[in-house]
Amino acid sequence: MNAFYLFLAVLIPCVGGVLNPLIPWKKRSHMLIYLETLVVVNSILVWVLLLNRPEEIFTLVHFTGNLAIAFQLDGLGTVFAGLISFLWPLATLYSFEYMTKEKHEKTFFMFYTVTYGVTLGISLADNFLTMYCFYELLTLVTLPLVMHTLTREAILASRKYLYYSIGGAAFAFIGMIFLLTYGESPDFILGGVMSTATLAEGKNTFLLIYVFSFFGFGVKAAICPLNSWLPQAGVAPTPVTALLHAVAVVKSGAFAIMRLTFYCFGVDFLRGTWAQYLLMGVVMFTIVYGCSMAVKETHLKRRLAYSTISNLSYILFGVVLMTPLGLVGALSHMIFHAFMKICSFFCAGAIMHQTERHYIHQLDGFARKMPKVFAIFTVSALALMGVPGLCGFISKWNLVSAAIESQNPMAYFGIGALLLSALLTAIYMLTIVIRAYFPEKDFNYDTIADVKDPNWMMLLPLTVFAVMIVVFGLCSMPVTELLTAVAAGSF
Amino acid sequence: MEYILLVPVFFPILAGIVLLLKKEYQKRSSMLLYVGTALVITGVFAVYGIFGITEGVTLFHLTKTLPVYFELDTLGRYFSLLFTIVWILAGFFSFEYMKHEEREKRYFGYYLIVFGVLLGLDFSGNLITMYLFYELMTLTSLPLVLHTQTREAVMAGLRYLFFSFAGAYMALFGVYFICRYGTTLNFTAGGVIPAAVLQENRTLFLVAVMFMIIGFGVKAGMFPLHAWLPAAHPVAPGPASAVLSGIIVKAGVLAVIRVVYQMIGTDFIRGTWVQTAWMSLTLITVFMGSMLAFREPVLKKRLAYSTVSQLSYILFGLSVLDAEAMTGALLHVTAHAFIKVALFLCAAAIIYQTGCKRVEDLKGIGKGMPVTLWCYTIVSLGLIGIPPTSGFASKWSLAVGALASGVPVFSWLGPVVLLVSALLTAGYLLPITMQGFFPGEGYDASRFEGKEPSYLMLAPLLIFAALTVLIGLMPNGLTDRLFEFAAQALQIV
Repeated sequence: MNAFYLFLAVLIPCVGGVLNPLIPWKKRSHMLIYLETLVVVNSILVWVLLLNRPEEIFTLVHFTGNLAIAFQLDGLGTVFAGLISFLWPLATLYSFEYMTKEKHEKTFFMFYTVTYGVTLGISLADNFLTMYCFYELLTLVTLPLVMHTLTREAILASRKYLYYSIGGAAFAFIGMIFLLTYGESPDFILGGVMSTATLAEGKNTFLLIYVFSFFGFGVKAAICPLNSWLPQAGVAPTPVTALLHAVAVVKSGAFAIMRLTFYCFGVDFLRGTWAQYLLMGVVMFTIVYGCSMAVKETHLKRRLAYSTISNLSYILFGVVLMTPLGLVGALSHMIFHAFMKICSFFCAGAIMHQTERHYIHQLDGFARKMPKVFAIFTVSALALMGVPGLCGFISKWNLVSAAIESQNPMAYFGIGALLLSALLTAIYMLTIVIRAYFPEKDFNYDTIADVKDPNWMMLLPLTVFAVMIVVFGLCSMPVTELLTAVAAGSF
Repeated sequence: MEYILLVPVFFPILAGIVLLLKKEYQKRSSMLLYVGTALVITGVFAVYGIFGITEGVTLFHLTKTLPVYFELDTLGRYFSLLFTIVWILAGFFSFEYMKHEEREKRYFGYYLIVFGVLLGLDFSGNLITMYLFYELMTLTSLPLVLHTQTREAVMAGLRYLFFSFAGAYMALFGVYFICRYGTTLNFTAGGVIPAAVLQENRTLFLVAVMFMIIGFGVKAGMFPLHAWLPAAHPVAPGPASAVLSGIIVKAGVLAVIRVVYQMIGTDFIRGTWVQTAWMSLTLITVFMGSMLAFREPVLKKRLAYSTVSQLSYILFGLSVLDAEAMTGALLHVTAHAFIKVALFLCAAAIIYQTGCKRVEDLKGIGKGMPVTLWCYTIVSLGLIGIPPTSGFASKWSLAVGALASGVPVFSWLGPVVLLVSALLTAGYLLPITMQGFFPGEGYDASRFEGKEPSYLMLAPLLIFAALTVLIGLMPNGLTDRLFEFAAQALQIV
């Protein structure tokens, strides 16, 4: 297909989203149909593109020298674009029901849809500059979503989000300058863009720059100590927390780090250096830290947010192994975690939407009243723990296989961190499940008589995610094969 | 034909799920008919599979290198036959006992599911299948533990869950490395990892084996991660305590045998710090469990502590890496299963009929419930190890094997600790018999008059007591088969 369609896929949600508040909708349902159609059509376009991949690059603007805004589709971009274009229509459907209880719907949906385009922009970017531009844009278009409720808490959270993200991007900017100056090519190339001679000359400088940019992008991927914005941003409406703060935004951070590591600096240069060991230490610490905080937290959504912090570092653990297998592990956890976490977040959102209850100790006996939601929540909880037969097991398996294969002694401790984190995951997820299914003996069900399952608009996405969790868990081979091809550069 | 192996695994799981999803039954008897039929059908297919099928069957692949594969070897046959007998008998006992508990449907639903999962664990032909069913076992047996949903039960259930997962994840560490370096995942006598690889990564594999022993040892109540067991087993309804303490703990033993004898290989750990540590831990547990049981006033908790102690007899027998001792350990698996289930069922019958939970309340109980107390006494003698009971046969082999093994210090220390513990066992079990039959002159035991339970409850008790004596009288048929297996596993044919 013509590479122009890549740009079109980015453009449609942006323009369509901006038009939404301008159109004088007579009925709410019209707007919903418009939005869903828009998102579905765009997702179909993306999938058609993925299956008939355009070989050439589409250059939108050529500024000067090697500075250009350009789009292309490679293996890594395929994975990320495929993931978000699958999730977005379902999340939009869910948010229709969820937003009935919130104000300023039109603006909300405008930004929500624009974010789709921007995230696609990150995944389809051909060079560092393009990715960087969309990365900054992502911060700006998601900011109104975080502050949506306009409570004091929300404004503080969004301010923090802004400072952290912009600050992080500034560090990434340093990396961009170096890459554009010393790189042989402005495009992403698997294996790195700088010649070995250049790298050898300023080894420690380049490593330092790499670490800076890693932390810069790491802000969005919530690595320690730059993660405190994420639990706070949980004040946003759940469709935002679920899709953006568990998938789109945070995984853009992880995606950018993959680009930086595998496609800019090149793993041959980085492997075995102090930078790798430093980052591995940070990532392992974050894995355990996020889980421990999740165990401590009593607010349902914030607990899931801490769990996200930990799970994102699983992905980054795969990246900092700096081997193709590590990338396979990272990508598989990127996909599978997206399904597991969006599923559990949507369950949390369904609970909040139906019952206005936000804290875990309020969930006693809910499973009898919301059987479907809690059955699905249990599936996602077990998957996050890594029970065999569900997708979480597969991605952890891939990560650990990569760690063993890397022959790096520190990676063995990383396996320990993953297992410790799995135990903590069991603790923070299953306490919720058990509370809901097995309340104390003389629990009075009349106190939760108003609790019931949500309608189909919420249940459909939930069911799809739960089914995907099981399907990926049982037949993961095609996915792993695809990812192996991506990591080897043959896809 | 080999697909019949899947029936006893998946049929009870499906039957259990159907029961859970069904509406409440109008009549209790129709539910019992359903459960009874399901148990019997599973039993028939399990026995057919155990004796009739030698081929393995691959169900599907989790990843390219991880097949879910079922195959029965001697060990699998032995464990699954044991599990089937006990599970069905204890199931029939529950028919009567569960009358005085709520939420019967849920209980029986999970009872069936766990049956299938346990058979899946025994039928597993490779490490990853076993691990899969091991985790499922923890999850599906949880509702049995916290069935009563008192605060105490829920807390004990959580403790059970998290200790078990801690163990499972410790074991998973080793599983990862075995899967990477093993030439095959199927259970093979002598191990699957080439000796050169083991030597090259010696420290790593020793740490991994230690993790696996401690990790799977959690289910078998091995020190230092035993604390869940005395909390979780007594809070469950009577028959559930019985199978938890008699059967589910044995899954930990099975897993330890699988990894040590059939995945890593005994040659690798013989004489290393891992073996020393393992033996020390088991002996500490043997002694500690007996001591704690000795000073515990609540009957079911006392029996749970006793389980802690007895399971480490088995693990000790495995840790000395000697064929005779291993035979003793394997025989003790059966002996202890029958005995401990019978003891818990006695306790359950007493609670069901009289409501008495503490040992001092049982004074004079022999006047009213003589058959129950006789069964209790016979199996108690078995647990202490007095001939002619199964406990004697197994402990004899254990001690002889340990003495012959030639492991420094432990070869004599082990039997000494076992003897001391046997003394303590007598000390915590027999006073109940004595005070039950001989409460002292003028003691009024009329409150126990006519409390003997119905035949549905007595029959399993009598069968277990009879089996205990029977195995004790004629252990040779069984021990010869077990010794053959042990010799093969230790590669000293």
